[in-house]
Amino acid sequence: MTGSIEAQAGLEGEFKDEIIRMYQNVADNPEGEFHFFHGRQAADMFAYDAHSLDEAPQGAVASFAVVGNPHLRSNVQPGDTVLDLGSSAGLDAIIASRSTGPTGKVIGVDLNPSMYLKAQAHAAASGSGMECHEGRMESIPLTDESVDVVISNGVINLSFQKRKVIEEMFRVLRPGGRISITDIVSAK
Amino acid sequence: MFGLLEESGFQRIRSAVVPNFRFRKIATQNSAEAYGVKAVMMTAEKPGGD
Repeated sequence: MTGSIEAQAGLEGEFKDEIIRMYQNVADNPEGEFHFFHGRQAADMFAYDAHSLDEAPQGAVASFAVVGNPHLRSNVQPGDTVLDLGSSAGLDAIIASRSTGPTGKVIGVDLNPSMYLKAQAHAAASGSGMECHEGRMESIPLTDESVDVVISNGVINLSFQKRKVIEEMFRVLRPGGRISITDIVSAK
Repeated sequence: MFGLLEESGFQRIRSAVVPNFRFRKIATQNSAEAYGVKAVMMTAEKPGGD
């Protein structure tokens, strides 16, 4: 039993490193070809608002790697605190900050330390007051009941501990808070 | 994921398939279809609001 737990931990560690490497590659080489659509093409595919994309830092748009558009049903209101779980280069968080306005707040959490620094730079360039944290979605670095809305775009499927991720989202949400997530699922 | 949301206490869970999702590489897309892979949008609420 201990052996299998150690084996899973080892596999999880390798997978984490691979995830960091892949998304870092997208951010560093946005002109590259990947097995998924990315950049403006992906954003247009999922009906992101063209005006928001035009106004966003183009570095954030170019390295955008997602599976859908969580903003379509997030219903973020002025004054809300929004958590973007797996914030990558920050585009979803920057878009959400347009809805929270100056009385609200958007917090980005990402596994990759250089990515959250990149998100912070993009947020500053866009005038968004985004707060960035390095952290794991299985252990969100926020206090209980501190968030109104959680958005997430294509990252929960990358976790070996999906139940823990969902329990963490539940923990940080205020009563009445909501999630709007897009992700990959498999029927088999 | 729907079941995990329910078991964790979320309510008013809604899901819909993301209509335009596909992989860029045809081989990846074919494999994804063989395994029933799709992108979904999910919304849910934590109970206890006003």
